[in-house]
Amino acid sequence: MTSDPLLIVNDLKVYFDTEQGVSKAVDGVSYMVRPGETVCLVGESGCGKTVSALSILGLLPQPPAQIAGGEVLFKGRNLLELAEEDLQSVRGREISMVFQEPMTSLNPVFTIGYQIEEVITNHEGVSHKEAEIRILKLLQDVGIPSPKERIHDYPHSLSGGQRQRVMIAMALACSPDLVIADEPTTALDVTIQAQILNLFRELQEKRGMAILQITHDLSVVAGIADRIYVMYAGIVVEEGSVWQIFRDPSHPYTMGLLESLPGRREKGQELATIPGTVPDPTMKPSGCPFHPRCSYFQESCRDQFPPMCNFGDDHLARCPVIHAERIA
Amino acid sequence: MKDSASEHTLSGETFGLPPQQTRLEEFWSQLRKNRLAFAGLVIFGFFFLVAVVGMLLTTGTSPVLDPSLVRLQEKLRPPLSGPNLESLLPEEVPPLRVYLLGTDELGRDVFARMLQGAWVSLTVGFVAVGLAVIIGVFLGGLSGYYGQNSIRVGQVILVLLALWVVLGWSGMSGVYLVVLAAAAVVVLASMVLLHRGKSHGPFAVLDAQLISVDALITSLIDIMLCFPSFFLILTVVALLPASIYNIMIVIGLTSWMGAARFVRAEFLSLREQDFVTAARALGISDWRIIFRHMVPNAIAPVLVSATIGIAGAILTEAGLSFLGFGVPPPHATWGNILSDGKNYLFDAPWLTIIPGLAILVVVLSFNLFGEGLRDILNPKLRERH
Repeated sequence: MTSDPLLIVNDLKVYFDTEQGVSKAVDGVSYMVRPGETVCLVGESGCGKTVSALSILGLLPQPPAQIAGGEVLFKGRNLLELAEEDLQSVRGREISMVFQEPMTSLNPVFTIGYQIEEVITNHEGVSHKEAEIRILKLLQDVGIPSPKERIHDYPHSLSGGQRQRVMIAMALACSPDLVIADEPTTALDVTIQAQILNLFRELQEKRGMAILQITHDLSVVAGIADRIYVMYAGIVVEEGSVWQIFRDPSHPYTMGLLESLPGRREKGQELATIPGTVPDPTMKPSGCPFHPRCSYFQESCRDQFPPMCNFGDDHLARCPVIHAERIA
Repeated sequence: MKDSASEHTLSGETFGLPPQQTRLEEFWSQLRKNRLAFAGLVIFGFFFLVAVVGMLLTTGTSPVLDPSLVRLQEKLRPPLSGPNLESLLPEEVPPLRVYLLGTDELGRDVFARMLQGAWVSLTVGFVAVGLAVIIGVFLGGLSGYYGQNSIRVGQVILVLLALWVVLGWSGMSGVYLVVLAAAAVVVLASMVLLHRGKSHGPFAVLDAQLISVDALITSLIDIMLCFPSFFLILTVVALLPASIYNIMIVIGLTSWMGAARFVRAEFLSLREQDFVTAARALGISDWRIIFRHMVPNAIAPVLVSATIGIAGAILTEAGLSFLGFGVPPPHATWGNILSDGKNYLFDAPWLTIIPGLAILVVVLSFNLFGEGLRDILNPKLRERH
């Protein structure tokens, strides 16, 4: 993996003005995606995964959201500083997005063929005939049976899994370099989930695009990711390859997450949990945001914001306590 | 990876494409399936034809059917009665030798008057309501979609400058224009700089937020609703030259508020739906999202209120004509036949029943068509038929 990163998110800060104060949904997040790899952002609900992904494409309504700092470099251009018109030509063409809820992500009043065609003709001046052929090819690629009949169907006559396939076809219509998938399998049942994940994998092999998967489901992560960023309360707490994260978790939060997987326990034993709850994003704890729930808590965690510590081979975690332990 | 050449060499035959059905053809076949809507369209088409034929038959120096020919000895004849040939001059005898729909209090042939009035009444209904729907959908859509986005001081100044230039175009000296244009450029440039966060200082006041788009448009709606619209129309009509087209436009300009509210309300919920975010994420422009993606989802209540609005517009025109502001007499419209006839409600009920029925049928046919249109625009509702 020596190629230049496709996307670099650098110290991104997204705040929301709320009545309770400033909610720091994303508070200094950095990650990168290289061409052709699958990167997963993992974390529980409300940790800022989706917000950070939406702000890559400038999809957050401002206000209430406000980009408080950082940069998003895509092929060397800072997307946060692009004008709306320039962003529109990036969206769908170079970076596209698949959403969580396939039941509502398609417009109910247009046929699926029309919706895919709109994406194509919006970005490339191709004729109707040419577009139609590409749509059929796309539908075939994403595994919609008998695409030539389905192309004139409306979303309500498709199942959830089929709709998600159509959404993926729309996202791939202009062969983007990066697809952001925001929990694409959460709303689907487990067998369909596996099919969709396999589909992503196949399409990636065929087309070579990079995928940024956002998920809270560790079993999804294990199956597809090349690299993982674990997020907690608006920051990245640990990053590394799948192997590193699953075999050698080096942040107490990641350890807690992995401990709480049902498979890690003997039958009949109670599941492990992480004590406490996620902090209110308007009133985050001082120092390390995880310290009130952490079993490795030391006094210094209360005041000092933990730096990223290197555990070797690009495996980083924000926990100097464990780092000191491992070194010793 | 961009598309490889192999994808382009695939032809339609590879997939055995079914014969192409354009959106218009699909629309038409859906309409044929929906019998009520199709009946509505047919009835409306018939009335439209009658209006055109009526206009041809009743205009000119010696029309076939003369709607303004007064035969006082033949007044208030019931429908289908024959004329008294002895008391009439040869040119006063109706060409059909029968008063199909009777005569009014001046002995004018109601059939001829209905034919003459059809065109005006239909166009008043449709132009006024069409205008109202267009304005309503536009403003309601902006208000619902942009909602909390604020209008900034600089933008207001720009609009005022533009209005100033447009309104005072003719009477303004060249120097004045140059000064205004320069002011506009300064404001615009400093706004652009502010937007990029590169400029501060005295111009920052231009970026101050005044009022949200939503608040502006909803208060405009409320202001318009405050005026009793009939008197507003009267005022405007008194200032404008009397012409049926001015009437249509004025009725349209004073009746868009309902449509705007409906669209705004629908947009507030549609805006949060994922397909809107998804469309934005795929690089589709705001205007296209509003008018191509969201309006078909929001149009149902507007169509229903528009069908009722047509009847309202026909009657408003009648009221204006009655007061002497609308179509000048002796030109007939369904509205003024109706309002003249109400004085003879018991002696000559056909004078009110006939134009009333005509308005009813037009409104009903448009209503049926509107409901069908709603079902066609929203494929989920098609299942019921």
